[in-house]
Amino acid sequence: MSRPGESGGIVRRLWARNLLIWAALLALLVLSLLAAYVPMGRMTTASGIIIAGVKSTLVVLLFMELASAKPLIRIAAISGLVFVIAMFALTFADVLARI
Amino acid sequence: MSDESALLREPWSNFGRQREAGKFGIWVFLASETLFFGALMLTYTVCRVEHPEAFAVAGRETNIWYGTINTAVLLTSSLTMAIAAQAAEESAPLRRLVLACLMLTAMLGLAFIVIKGFEYKEDIDKQLVPGAGFALSQPGAQLFYGFYWLVTGVHAIHLSIGIALVSRLFWVLLRRQLPAKDNPEIEVTALYWHLVDIVWIFLYPLIYLPGRAS
Amino acid sequence: MTDALLAGELPLPPRPDYLRHGSTISSWLATTDHKRIAILYAITITFFFFLGGAAITAVRLELFQPNGWLLTSDTYNKLFSFHGIIMVWFFLVPSIPNTFGNFLLPLMIGAPDVAFPRLNLFSWYLTVAAGAFTVYALVAGGVDTGWTFYTPYSSMFSNTHVFAAAAGVFVVGFASIATGVNFIATTHMLRAPGMTWFRLPLFVWAIYATSLIMVLATPVLAISLLLVIAERVLGLPIFDPARGGDPILFQHLFWFYSHPAVYIMVLPAMGVVSEIIPCFARRRIFGYDFMVYAMLAIAGVGFFVWGHHMFVSGQSALASLVFSFLSFIIAVPSAIKVFNWTASLYRGQISFESPMLYALGFVGLFTTGGLSGLFLASIPVDIHVTDTYFVVAHFHYIMVGGSVSAFFAGLHFWWPKVTGKLYPESWAKFAAILMYAGFNMTFLPQFFAGYLGMPRRYHTYPAEFQIYNVMSSAGAAVLAIAYLLPLGYLTWSLFYGGNAAKNPWGATGLEWTTGSPPPPKNFDRQPRVDRGPYDYHAEGMSAGTDPPEMQNARETR
Repeated sequence: MSRPGESGGIVRRLWARNLLIWAALLALLVLSLLAAYVPMGRMTTASGIIIAGVKSTLVVLLFMELASAKPLIRIAAISGLVFVIAMFALTFADVLARI
Repeated sequence: MSDESALLREPWSNFGRQREAGKFGIWVFLASETLFFGALMLTYTVCRVEHPEAFAVAGRETNIWYGTINTAVLLTSSLTMAIAAQAAEESAPLRRLVLACLMLTAMLGLAFIVIKGFEYKEDIDKQLVPGAGFALSQPGAQLFYGFYWLVTGVHAIHLSIGIALVSRLFWVLLRRQLPAKDNPEIEVTALYWHLVDIVWIFLYPLIYLPGRAS
Repeated sequence: MTDALLAGELPLPPRPDYLRHGSTISSWLATTDHKRIAILYAITITFFFFLGGAAITAVRLELFQPNGWLLTSDTYNKLFSFHGIIMVWFFLVPSIPNTFGNFLLPLMIGAPDVAFPRLNLFSWYLTVAAGAFTVYALVAGGVDTGWTFYTPYSSMFSNTHVFAAAAGVFVVGFASIATGVNFIATTHMLRAPGMTWFRLPLFVWAIYATSLIMVLATPVLAISLLLVIAERVLGLPIFDPARGGDPILFQHLFWFYSHPAVYIMVLPAMGVVSEIIPCFARRRIFGYDFMVYAMLAIAGVGFFVWGHHMFVSGQSALASLVFSFLSFIIAVPSAIKVFNWTASLYRGQISFESPMLYALGFVGLFTTGGLSGLFLASIPVDIHVTDTYFVVAHFHYIMVGGSVSAFFAGLHFWWPKVTGKLYPESWAKFAAILMYAGFNMTFLPQFFAGYLGMPRRYHTYPAEFQIYNVMSSAGAAVLAIAYLLPLGYLTWSLFYGGNAAKNPWGATGLEWTTGSPPPPKNFDRQPRVDRGPYDYHAEGMSAGTDPPEMQNARETR
């Protein structure tokens, strides 16, 4: 059985770790907001999506604990992404190559 | 020590295995949700590639404050949900923390819905509903807003389901009908919640950020 | 022999099997027993099979004459649309996975149930609710878009009940996804001790591969239909060309699911055949490992070929080339499987019981259908025969000649296990042969009609095609009788058939080590597996007449 003081330490640790991740997420949010106003051509669009990708990766690896999960879980997680990429790639083989 | 016997259910003989299976099952479901929202993203991307200027014009009409604040709200709800899920797995009994964070998560989810409601009202007032009286003249702009109403609606439905799941969990744990410690339902609900957050993380640059740089 | 008997004690009174364990309505409608859920599904899909069959009976009657003598064009369009929607989503997709998969997956891996039993029951309720939507669409006047719901006709111009039909398919899709999640988790997490992945029966692998496709492809179908509903009901522009929409986008989304869907429909059938051929040839399956890899390859590559349904849609030439190439590639694993089934017969002790008749029929008809698919993968040929009866014949050879034959094969093979009753074998043989004859008479003429130019989905046609249509419709009548016969004699067997022993066929596999019908929790004692499947004879030998080695280490003879 754990003692009362131990709970306090655990709670502090939980908040510290997760607040740090949350702060990073908010910082990235602000970054994407600011980047949207910088005229960089295609890179402006890309910046928003890339930053969203980074935020999602943080959520998946740290909040959803995929970084410490078993290989089977990681394969399940990535399989969706693999087929979405295939769906995009083959559809754009049509859309971008139409005369 | 956790109250495993209260949580063990058929056909499992080993609680650890049941937990593992639940976690694996929800991740498989999340893979299917990835394809669900991925197909919507494909729709957006094809339409945007076919109508880049119209999408820029239309994107500018969205309210970036509502969008950014709502994104921050959901990111915060992921924070509270993550803490609830991690607290449930700790060796020390952190029942009050779990309950508090579940409640915060549900309230942040509701806050999102409320803010979205205000945003929808403004969009309707600005005549951004596709149809006869649509505000913008470019054909692709109607496509943008067709997508906008549909995808935010689908997201809101998913979020509402999440709020219902979190609220139910809060209620069941509050009434001590199930233990909080090592409860697999908390982990499963948390993973679903984070998915709903991730969908919005991607929707934010697609809906609110186009056309800002010109 | 139980241990109690060996010790000289009196035998315990017989426990009720899963059918007799509770006989109230709520013990069925609130069951979480995968075997009962399988029965519930079986009743549901049988109903839909005959509903879809009734629709096409009207179609084939109409096609006896070239001048539209029986039906209006609108009614005809509604009938073939309804036939497609019902047969694809309410019969073929759930048929083998949700009946035999549900019943047998836990038994074959030595588990007491599936991973999420309540989710399993929920899947069935979703299927029934979805079916209600679709039957409503029929009763309210039908839908005429074809089972493919192409836009912008479905989303903007059709005056029929597109919403109800699309909603029905949307909901049954979620039943499919839930089943897929359940089966994947079950296969990973509930295998008995000693049941390693490469000791699994091929039917389990088939259901597993099918479940992967269900989980990953079905959400995209859901979105494609959601977009149609949004455009139609909410007026949101998505595919409307006048407002900048791209109708071909719908086809990409729809076929991204619907091509893998045909593998959802055929992989379980392949699994069934892989169980039956070894049993009735008394031979180990030839090339077990490659049979596994082939199924996984079909499931995987099947996601990358959808554009072969779109060669004439306006798709880019580049995409068409890529899809055509990949469509040729995907023939290879199927061919490997056909070769291996055939090679499994070599040096066998072959007997022609009805399951084997159906299974061998599958091999021939699937091969024919598959070869015709190669013609369709070639872009120049496809441009000539697309939207003709050639395509109709191709997919019916695979789905009806293939999957439905395999369904009946499995039905007869596992009937004694599921019901505890023996059906009359002579009737079953007669029905199997009649079905094979009727099937070929129905669909072989369609290859010719299509190649010569008869379009599909037309109810009037030039007189030169009448000979093929008359042959096809006559064959359909024979086929209908062949489908009704099992309904008769199988029902008869429930009341008057002999009782089945645990293992009437002398097959390997854990399901044959427990009672016929099985007890509610499947096994009296947890099986412990110490060998691979299909151990019908010693390695390196031909088939013999000795009983096979069962997979369960505890099984005594």
